[in-house]
Amino acid sequence: MDDHAPLESAGIEEPLDLVRLSLDERIYVKLRGDRELRGKLHAYDGHLNMVLGDVEETITVVDVNEETLEEVIRIVKRNCEMLFVRGDGVILVSPPSRA
Amino acid sequence: MVSTLTLCRDRRTQETGCLEELGTMANGLWHDNRERIFLFYSFFKTLVGQPVTVELKNDLAITGVLVSVDQFLNIKLDNIKVVDEERYPHMLAVKNCFIRGSVVRYVQLPAPSVDTALLQDAARRERQQPAAVGRK
Amino acid sequence: MEPTQDFTSFLLGRPVIVKLNSGVDYRGILACLDGYMNIALEQTEEYVNGQLKNKYGDTFIRGNNGELLSYVSLLTLGNSYSTGKTAEYR
Repeated sequence: MDDHAPLESAGIEEPLDLVRLSLDERIYVKLRGDRELRGKLHAYDGHLNMVLGDVEETITVVDVNEETLEEVIRIVKRNCEMLFVRGDGVILVSPPSRA
Repeated sequence: MVSTLTLCRDRRTQETGCLEELGTMANGLWHDNRERIFLFYSFFKTLVGQPVTVELKNDLAITGVLVSVDQFLNIKLDNIKVVDEERYPHMLAVKNCFIRGSVVRYVQLPAPSVDTALLQDAARRERQQPAAVGRK
Repeated sequence: MEPTQDFTSFLLGRPVIVKLNSGVDYRGILACLDGYMNIALEQTEEYVNGQLKNKYGDTFIRGNNGELLSYVSLLTLGNSYSTGKTAEYR
């Protein structure tokens, strides 16, 4: 196929290249269990194990009020200086948008 | 399977300093498909003796001194303390533990002990990519 | 060449939907994919229960593993995309 999508011109031939090009950049990671991370990518491997620096974790918790059965969504934020993330929980990785 | 030779080498490198090993990888001298395991395995070996907090997928978080790690990233901790003791009182008496790698969600690391430049170099040079499908 | 390979190369550069078992859909332009079904999308939109929740530039979606079991389908947005390319493919 010969049409040039923007990502191809950026030297991306396979999905993991996208992650490789995000090294030393702040990335967004979506994990199972309604967790999201934002942090600087220092290392990754083919399982999507990662080491992130200056991490902000956002957890979305849904509490159900026992009386009214109303769902209350609560956002919990946590910070961590250096974090190893096990790859099997990763759903999606998004690098900072390249202009 | 891992050959005896590899095991011997592992044991040796564990003794002689894993930083050296990471450095070797960063220099691109180590190009076989075990590299993908070695990156984080070697990395964790450099952190042996350091305090870490392991957060499990069931939300239990354990702080302790990293004793050892293996190729599956199973982790042994010593002098452990459960972060939320009130919620997990049954863990109070436990002083050390072995954590199966697959139940780990995060490991919080001591930032000053992490050489990020070396890590990035090693990651950048990894050639562990699976064969591309659907290209040409 | 395997038929699946033909199909996936046919999809490259086209708008696709990646559906996860969790009920979340990702729509975007398929940049590439690999043997583990890792997927790179451009101009990604995240839909939860059919509602647009997020937009990302480029995304890497982790393939394979367990419950995620994603599938990719062609997003048919009018005829503009399909006609010409389909002919070339045949």
